[in-house]
Parts: sequence; structure tokens; C-alpha cells
Amino acid sequence: MISLHLILKSMLRRKVVTSLLLVQLALTLALLSNSSLLALQTWNQLSQPTGLDLDNILYVSLKPTSKNLQEYPAFADLLERQLAAVRQMPGVAAVSFTNQSPLMEGGSNGNVNDENNRENNTQSVPQYTVSPDFLKVLQLDVLEGEIPQKIEAWDGESTVPVVLTKSLAERVFPGKSAIGQLTNGGPVAAVIEDFYGQRNAERVMYNRLQIAQIYGVAWGYGIILRVEPGQAQHIRSQIPDVLKTADSNIEIFSVRTMDEQLHRMFRNEFGLATLLAVLSGLMLLVSMISSYSNAHFNALKRQQEIGIKRALGASKHSILLEMLTENWCTTAAGAGVGIVAAWLLNQALALVISIPALPVWLPLSALLMLMCCVTLATWYPATIATRVSPATATKTL
Amino acid sequence: MIKINNLSKIFRTELIETHALKNIQLHVSEGEFVALTGPSGSGKSTLLNVLGTLEHFDSGDYLLDGQSVKGLSDKALSALRNEKIGFIFQGFNLIKDYSLFDNIELPLRYRGFNAAERKRRVEHALEQVGLAARRDYHPSQLSGGQQQRVAIARAIAGQPRILLADEPTGNLDSLMARQVMELLEQINQNGCTILMVTHDPEQARRAGRQVQIIDGQLSDAAMYDPLAHNNAHAQSSPVAVA
Amino acid sequence: MEQFLYYLKVSLKSIRRAPLPYALTILILSLGLGVFFANATFYYRLNADPLPHKSDKLFFPFMNLVPYECQNCEPPNVLSYSNVQKLSATDIPSAKAAMYSADGYLRLTPQQPPLPVKIRLTQPDFFRMFEVPFLHGSVWPDASARAEVILSRHTAEKLFGETDVVGRRLTLDDFEYTVSAVLADWTMLPRLFDANNNNHLSEVEDIYLPLETGYDRNYLSNSQSSSFQDADYRKLATDGRTKAIHQLQFWVQLDTPEQQQAYRQFMANLTADEKKAGRHPSTINNRLVGMRDIVAHFNQQGGDIKAFALVTLLFLLVCLFNASHLSLNRYIANQYEISLRRALGASRWHIQQQAMADVLLMAGITSVAALLIGYSGISLMNYLLPANRLFSSWDWALLLSLLAVTLGCSYLVTLYPSLRASFGALNQQLKE
Ligand SMILES: Nc1ncnc2c1ncn2[C@@H]1O[C@H](COP(=O)(O)OP(=O)(O)OP(=O)(O)O)[C@@H](O)[C@H]1O
Ligand SMILES: [Mg+2]
Repeated sequence: MISLHLILKSMLRRKVVTSLLLVQLALTLALLSNSSLLALQTWNQLSQPTGLDLDNILYVSLKPTSKNLQEYPAFADLLERQLAAVRQMPGVAAVSFTNQSPLMEGGSNGNVNDENNRENNTQSVPQYTVSPDFLKVLQLDVLEGEIPQKIEAWDGESTVPVVLTKSLAERVFPGKSAIGQLTNGGPVAAVIEDFYGQRNAERVMYNRLQIAQIYGVAWGYGIILRVEPGQAQHIRSQIPDVLKTADSNIEIFSVRTMDEQLHRMFRNEFGLATLLAVLSGLMLLVSMISSYSNAHFNALKRQQEIGIKRALGASKHSILLEMLTENWCTTAAGAGVGIVAAWLLNQALALVISIPALPVWLPLSALLMLMCCVTLATWYPATIATRVSPATATKTL
Repeated sequence: MIKINNLSKIFRTELIETHALKNIQLHVSEGEFVALTGPSGSGKSTLLNVLGTLEHFDSGDYLLDGQSVKGLSDKALSALRNEKIGFIFQGFNLIKDYSLFDNIELPLRYRGFNAAERKRRVEHALEQVGLAARRDYHPSQLSGGQQQRVAIARAIAGQPRILLADEPTGNLDSLMARQVMELLEQINQNGCTILMVTHDPEQARRAGRQVQIIDGQLSDAAMYDPLAHNNAHAQSSPVAVA
Repeated sequence: MEQFLYYLKVSLKSIRRAPLPYALTILILSLGLGVFFANATFYYRLNADPLPHKSDKLFFPFMNLVPYECQNCEPPNVLSYSNVQKLSATDIPSAKAAMYSADGYLRLTPQQPPLPVKIRLTQPDFFRMFEVPFLHGSVWPDASARAEVILSRHTAEKLFGETDVVGRRLTLDDFEYTVSAVLADWTMLPRLFDANNNNHLSEVEDIYLPLETGYDRNYLSNSQSSSFQDADYRKLATDGRTKAIHQLQFWVQLDTPEQQQAYRQFMANLTADEKKAGRHPSTINNRLVGMRDIVAHFNQQGGDIKAFALVTLLFLLVCLFNASHLSLNRYIANQYEISLRRALGASRWHIQQQAMADVLLMAGITSVAALLIGYSGISLMNYLLPANRLFSSWDWALLLSLLAVTLGCSYLVTLYPSLRASFGALNQQLKE
């Protein structure tokens, strides 16, 4: 009943207005799909498996403020007192010291390789020096071998056994048991479950642990603890005082749950995705405004035309449909250009940030969303247009 | 064909109520050519609009082809209008942006004819009004008389049973007016009922029957002899037409 | 003037006749501009040159002088102590300074609670090279170790409550030092001398210590320290000076192209000699990176801001298209009136002047709205991307250029419609 041919003709006649509308719709679609893509990516990153109980593990980052306390043996004594104080807090299930937290961008890391096959080198593996309870805190199972129970000191002579996460053990010693094998850092004592270490590592699940004293505290160190479910907020508020009571010569930089640690790690991505989402929202708003005002203006300008059509037998329904169709046509045409633009923008963005390739369904669903918004915005002025009285509109001035 | 009993129409604005039509009683049979006359502001256009279902009425009955118009939905009214009624306006009311072909085709689209049927009918209608060669012109490229002929073609393309014409020659010079009049007569001879508002007594006389409205009320044609009042009318007509 | 006021009145009247379309036009335009402003601020600030007259003369030499063998490797981002010694053993540069940063705790007396401070450990030329202004005292006479610190003004005020504290004593990480100078207010944004790990986005340090003293007292870099050899990084005084512990930045000032060429040659000779002596197992890959290229060299160009810049530019474009579309509609609605004015004898020039009044009015309202939106945009960005927080302020130059952009956009948005209105065929419009 409604002629696409006539609608296209009328679009072509209003060349300038239509092309403005098209360009704008195309850009909106391009932006909408790419920012959704980025938001999706961030969301995926935030919800990827970490192997950690994000809500019930707390990490306290701190540093002694006096030179004396920063060096052994005073530092070992300080640690002892701090761990004892935290262990006594009700609601704390396990506590350990560590030189660094899991779930970080980068930190203390180094090479790990098979001492008998140095060619097969794994770079930037996070290196943790922790107390044996570290595994209890993270609730990591020992898959093979045994965790050393003695905290080794760094005397520069003896080698300290290492503990590898499963994926790292498989990477360094493919096809055989890692236990007893010699790495560049020491013999492998145990293989444990994977957990998320550092984002910049070759693989995020590659980690190397040593049950040993913290080597140096120039960058501070950490006390990591697992709390009973629901206790995290309470303990987090108490812990600075507890630690200060153990020794006041410390600076506490932060107390965070692993969940917060994860969010911090993707803070930039999250920030950018949020910004783009806000921008997409604004774009949709702008599209809606323009659809609205375009329809509104059209309704005003074409009152007579609509009146004539009504007199010739067009029902209100078909007038409404006609106006909506006209808008849909413009949107669809804009979307056609927009899908190309979305792809181009994706390429351009890939030059400056890491963004995956655009899947086909994304611009299509962006189009659908755009359609919905445009329809919503056109609806009201279009219904107003159908109310034109044919008798008045066809009256001669 | 058309049966109107006791029909009234009141326009209400915030300030005043205008009784545009008062207790109208009118019967028109199939194939009649009725001329509606009357002074300016008497309600002729209003009556035509009510007959064409462009305007609702307040009280009374209106039976079109034996069917009561009252209480029909917008959709039903639109369909009724589309199938049975053709309109010709004083101001032509062609859609500027459409070619002649598109203009004439429009009501056929609402009717749901297929493309071939539409094309056949549009071309036939254009031939009838003698504009077949200009089907791709736009209204602005035509003279007033030609535009009115296009409007007539649009009105008859759907082969309506009734043609409602509101001062179809009001904007035309006498030569053009005569051509249009001849066209209408020809259409009437083909069996189409025509109701035409006119200020021209000569045209009114050429119609088969004359109906006069004064102040929203029908009066007998005999009581108002256009010839007798010819002088008075000639004085008032410029005002009415303007 | 009186004429202009009249035009303004006409503009206002036509706005009052249809306030909604006008408000929407303004809204869309200021949304686009506001978002653009917010991003332009960061973009402009982050890419600013902190030493415009000198940045082309400052260079960071990189080389692959490391004990491991590596083909086609990029040189490490930081140098070892011995690297720096070798690179400094020449008179070609007009100035040269090695440096790194560390954390420490500052007190007046050992009993006081500590004040956490950022320390820059460097050599005297640092202050000359980067034109650091002094308020009191003077820089150390040479690069040797000495228990003397230079304080930033802010730190001096915080610690002593005053600035003229040259000769006073303080305790830094349990060692006593004498204050040899206090700096005047100084910032350098971006802080290009330390661009590794995005450090150029941070503020300058609170306290300055001679580099040699830093090594003697085992200050480890708080940014990056890589050890390419079996070495104890807790023993900087010994291992740190002899082994491949890399943590230093090194800047040289080379004023002329000849100097730069000579220094390149010097680096080439140096690495060739080292290779001959068997101390340079990797392929030679010398780089002399200018200060202007240092951020790119570290590959830390703030991809987020760039990505967002691209996107906001597109958004501005969308808004411009949209606003001109809206205002075109508005003008078409007013066209009859414009045609009538022209018929009554207004010349095209008059109509254009009327359009100019429209532009000015629109630019005025839009710039206020856009600045408000821009300000909220900046707050949001500071919240979401806190790393760039220091780069969010407006100065006059920026503000004026933003206003100019607004004026330009308002003009564009009004130009086409008004052209169409004033050059359209007169009679045709009146006929409609
Ligand atoms: N939409 C309306 N609202 C209010 N009053 C109206 C409306 N349309 C018509 N009228 C009034 O109804 C009366 C009849 O008007 P109508 O247009 O039918 O007159 P007419 O006989 O066609 O006159 P003319 O010969 O000048 O065309 C007039 O008094 C007019 O003012
Ligand atoms: Mg009339």
C-alpha cells in the first residue's frame, strides 16, 4: 500500500536534509557498534576465570617507614608480629605474607626455563615469595609434589625450591612431570592449580612461587588473607589498626579485595568502555532528537499533503505507517553506510587500542536498537500528523 | 444513493458555536447531477465535507448507498471514501512533490490495486481528461485548468459512485471553466452521481437539479432563482471567490 | 550598534516563536562541542611540549650493551650504571644527567611521624637541562656523593613551615642530610624526562638527592629496575655499579646538528669497541631519541585518549550535521517571513547580517552550555581515567581556541540555511 518508490523519491528530492540525516545515522551506527564491542570486551575480561575467590581475599599493601625495619632480621620479626596479629582477628581464615598481589598489570617477574633446555624460555613470569599459608589463603590445591614448609632465607648459596602453577609447569616441562626438574630458579617442589597472576605476562595463569623470605621491600610488600564469607568489609576496616598496633612504623598504602584488584587492572578499559557507552547514549539521544524534530517538521510542512491523502481514502493508520516507513527507510539507508563506517572505525581504533574485529551481529543489533529509538522518537509527531483534519487541510486559503 | 435526514453540524470554538448545518434533509438518487448554491459562508463546503465523510456531524442520519455512516471506524470511513467518493477541490489540492501519474495513482494505492491495474486506470483517467502526454509532469508545470483536470482524473480514476466537487471552476477563467464543466457532464453521463458547489448560475442551471443553502438550511430551488438574483450575486461573488 | 540590537531582537523573537527546535539545536550543538572540549583538553595537554625552545636539543641514548645475547632486540628502556658511565665519558654534550626515582620517608627529627616523599636521584646538570628554577641556595657543585638534598618548595613548606631553609638538617630514611637548595614553584607537564611506565603523567618529585648518594644508600628505582645478570639488587653500592642492573634514565643536551652527529658517532664507536672486547654479545642497536619522540619510543601514547579523540571528533561531526539539519528546518519554517522581508526591500546583505546576529546569539548560548558540558565531561574522565588527572585544566589559550571553535561551528550550522534562505528564488518562495 505504501510505495517505497514514492518514499525514495521524496527522500531524493530533499537531498541536503536526507544526506545530513544519512551521514549522521551512519556515524551513530559506527560508534554504537564499536563502543558496544569495547564494552563487551571489557566485560569479558572482567568476568574471565581467575581461579580466585574474589570477594573473600583481602590484600594489604604496606611498607615499613624506617630503614631499620626494612632490613633483616628486624623485618622478619615485624612480619611475624603482623601475621600473628592478623591471624588472631575473628573471621580471618588464613593469612600469609607475599612480595606482591595476584591480579596486577605487572610487578616483580622474571624468566623461567628448564635448566637443561634453556632455549625454551618463558619470560615475565610473576615471581612470588610467600609463606606456606599463601596456598591456604588463595585456596589452591597442590596437584603434584609437596609444598616446602620452611621459609628459606636468601643466603646466596643454596637454591630455593620453586612451586609452579599447572599451566606454567606444562609449558616449561612439556609432556613430563615437573617435580624434581631443575629450573633456572631452583628445583620444582610442587605444581599447584592455576590462578591469575599478572596481566602483562605471557599467559596470565603462569606463576612461580617460592616459600621464602621477601627479598627486599623497596617497593613495599603485602599481607594477604582469606576471610570468612561476609566478613571482608568488617575486617578491612579493622586491619589498619591491628597492623599499626603490631608496629606503628608502617605506611599502609591500600587494603583491597581481589575483586577490586581485578577492576583496577582493567581500569583503563573499563573507563574507556564507560566513556564510549556514555557517548553512545548521547548519540542515541541525538538521533532520537533529530528523528523527532524531522518528523515533527515534516508533519508541519506536509499538513496539506497529509490532508489530501486522508481525503483520498488513507486511514490514520496508513498515514502513521507511511511516516514511520519513511523514517525506517532513512535509517536503513544510513545503516547501510553505517555498517561500512563501523568497520572502518573498527580498523582505525585497532591502530591505537586493542579492540577485537567487529562480529557481524553487532552492527545488526546496533541497527535494531537504532530502529527502535528512531521509531519511538517518530511515533509522537507522526500520530500528531495523522490528526490533521482533511477538511481543514484541503480548504483553499 | 445519498439519504440525509435531519442532519446538523455545529462548529465549536472556545468563543462561539457556529451552526453550520441545521436539520438538513436531502436525498440524491443514483446518476443525478446536483448543483449546490448559496451565499458565502452558508455551509456549502461543510455539507460537501460531511457528505464526503471528511467531517463528522452532530445529529441526524446519513445513509450512503443504504449504509449508515454513523459510528464507522476511521478505517471503515477511509475505505468508504476511497472506494465510493471522488473529491474535486477548488484549490486542486494536488501533491506538489508527485508527478501527475503519482498523484492520480495515490487513491488506487490505498484501494490496494496491483501495479498493472493502477497503471491501466491512471492512463485511462489521464486520457479522459486529455493529459495523457504529460503523465510525468509535476503539478507546478501545468496551468490551473490543466491542474484541475488532473484533480478530476484523480477523482474518477477509482470509478467512484459519487463525485463531490467544491467550486471546481472557482479559480479558472471562463473558457477553462467551460471545459471542466463539459468534462463533469460527460462523467455524469457515464453514470456517476455528482454534487457540485458553484457560484456560477449558468453552471447551476446546467446541472440536473439545484439545491440551495442559506444559513445552513436547505431551501427549495424555486425560492432562490439564480437568474432573478443575478445582479445581487454578481456583486457578492468576487468577495465569495476571493 | 542600534541596528545590531534590532537584529538581535528579531532573532530572539523568532526563537520565542519556536523555542523547542532552537533549544534542541543548542542542546545538540553543545553536547557535541562539550564532549569535544573535554577530550580536546586532555589531548592538547598531553601532547604539549613542556620545553618548546629546547626539547629538540635533548636526547636519550639507548643501546643494547647488556650481557645477554639477543638478535634484533630493542635496547632496554633503562640503562645500567656502567652504561651511563660509558655514555658520559665524552665532552660532546653541553650537559648530561643520569637519573631515577625512588620512594622515601622524610622527617625533621627521628621521632617525628614520617612524611612519604618521592625522590629524584640525579646529577647537577638535571636542573640546568630542564630549567628548574631555584628559590634559595644552589645546585650541588659536582656529581659526587654528598649528604645534601634539594627540596621542592612545597616540601620545604610542609616540613619546615618556611622556604628559606638552606643549611638546615633533616632525616631521610634514617640518614641525616643538609638542605643545599630550595626550588621555586616548578612543574613540568608532561614530565618527559621520565616517560617510561607512563611516568610522564605524574607530578615532579618532592626531593632531590645526588645519584651517587642514592647508589651508596641502596635506593632502588620505584619505576623499573631490571637485572640481566646474577646480581643482588639490594647491594646497589657494589653490584649496582658494576653489574647489569638497569634502572637509569640518561639525558644529554646536544645543541647543534654537528653535536648530535658527533654523539651518534661516539655511540657507534663505543658499542663497536665493546663488541670487540666481547662485552656486547647482542646485535648493535643504538638509538638517540629526542625528547619530543620519547613517549612514542616507549610506546605509551595514551591509546585511550587517542581512541576517544577519534570518537569524539566523529560525535562532533554527527552533532554538527544534526544541528545544521535542525536549523535548516527552522529556517525553512521561517522562509516565508524571510522572503517577505526581502520582498519588502531587505537586501541579501541585510539578511546575511540578520544571520550573523543569529550566529552570535547561538555561539554565546552554545559556548556557555558547551563549557558546562565539557567541564562535567572532564570530571567524568578524571574519575574514569585517573592517570590523566593532571592534564585536565584549562588555560586562556585553550579556552579562547575552544570559543573560536564554538563560533566556527555556530557559523557553519547557520550558514547553509541562511544562504539558502537569502539566495533562494524570491518569487518561488512567495508563491508557495
Ligand atoms: N473548521 C471550522 N471551524 C469553525 N467554523 C467553521 C469551520 N469551517 C467552517 N466554519 C463556519 O461554518 C460556516 C459555513 O462555512 P462553509 O465553509 O461551509 O461556507 P461556504 O458556504 O462553503 O462558503 P464559501 O462560498 O465562502 O466557500 C461559516 O460560517 C464558517 O465560518
Ligand atoms: Mg466553500
